Amino acid sequence: MILTGPRIQAEVEQGNITLHPFDPKLVNPNSYDFRLGSTLKIYKHRELDVRRPNATETITIPESGYTLRPDTLYLGHTIETMGSDKFVPVIRGKSSTGRVGLFVHITADLIDLGWHGQSTLMLHAVQPVTVYPGMRIGQVTFWSVLGDPKLYDGKYQGSRGPMASQAHRDFQS
Amino acid sequence: MILTGPKIQAEVAAGRIQISPIQARLLNPNSYNYRLGTELLTMPGTIDTRRQPVAKRIEIPETGYVLQPGRLYLGHTYERIGSTHFVPSLIGRSSLGRLGLFLQITADLGHLGTYHKWTLEMTVVQPLRIYPKMRIGQVSFWEPQGVPALAVASYAGLPGNYAQFSNSTPSLVGKFFE
Repeated sequence: MILTGPRIQAEVEQGNITLHPFDPKLVNPNSYDFRLGSTLKIYKHRELDVRRPNATETITIPESGYTLRPDTLYLGHTIETMGSDKFVPVIRGKSSTGRVGLFVHITADLIDLGWHGQSTLMLHAVQPVTVYPGMRIGQVTFWSVLGDPKLYDGKYQGSRGPMASQAHRDFQS
Repeated sequence: MILTGPKIQAEVAAGRIQISPIQARLLNPNSYNYRLGTELLTMPGTIDTRRQPVAKRIEIPETGYVLQPGRLYLGHTYERIGSTHFVPSLIGRSSLGRLGLFLQITADLGHLGTYHKWTLEMTVVQPLRIYPKMRIGQVSFWEPQGVPALAVASYAGLPGNYAQFSNSTPSLVGKFFE
């Protein structure tokens, strides 16, 4: 079952959901709007390899905006620190974001129970799109679980800012 | 409700979720990491949804294969996955999304009652080298409400359209026009 907006707010107040900073104006009927942080990362090389660390460079989005290009993947981040030990977060774009052809994640909408951090956004624009720091870009929903919890304790725990893929570490284990 | 990792494991043990082969270390807090199989299909040129697409088969070498932007690749899960009791949803892992790999093209929802190697719809933003049998996506299971109608019953008037297939299966969308 999906939590309603009032229930999300109640669970934040009881400490069962992390949404920080929390602004009641960003509560929707069944989700919470998150905002785009000012840091982006792009990969230095065009061709990427799952088995190797892929070097990145950092871009700061100016107040005047930054234009995302269709042929490039941009890693962004939420301003908000989010997560829950009790409800499974699922992220997606706002419909306003979808209507300008901007993906905010790439088929990885499901967050692990127990993960807390600034969510890394996988930004992909179908046509060139200019984004601005602090804009409302997506929404997070929360879902109740069935079964005993097992909390996340992986490589992306506590991330701040955009965090590049750690997929190469899979090949070491 | 979405099943937790320990609940997925318990339901596999009870035979109400099937994942084969299964490895305990691929279990996540609320999903299971599936692996990529060893072959891909591509369909060059214009795809006519009324016709059976002509697909080219690619064996992914151990040294990897580079996916190119602007093309669709069909892969498949290494595992057979299904459940008669819980609805599967197949998505990519964040580790692969962070490299610009789409897994499933807005069709992440499985049918109750299917059990097979799932076809993966793959496309990339930038060129990306992938490897056979790598951990590539995750499957979650959701508790349904209501009387189950298992997928083998009927799908577009066809008995279990994709349900009996293994490996990468091209679109059968053309059958909707027959």
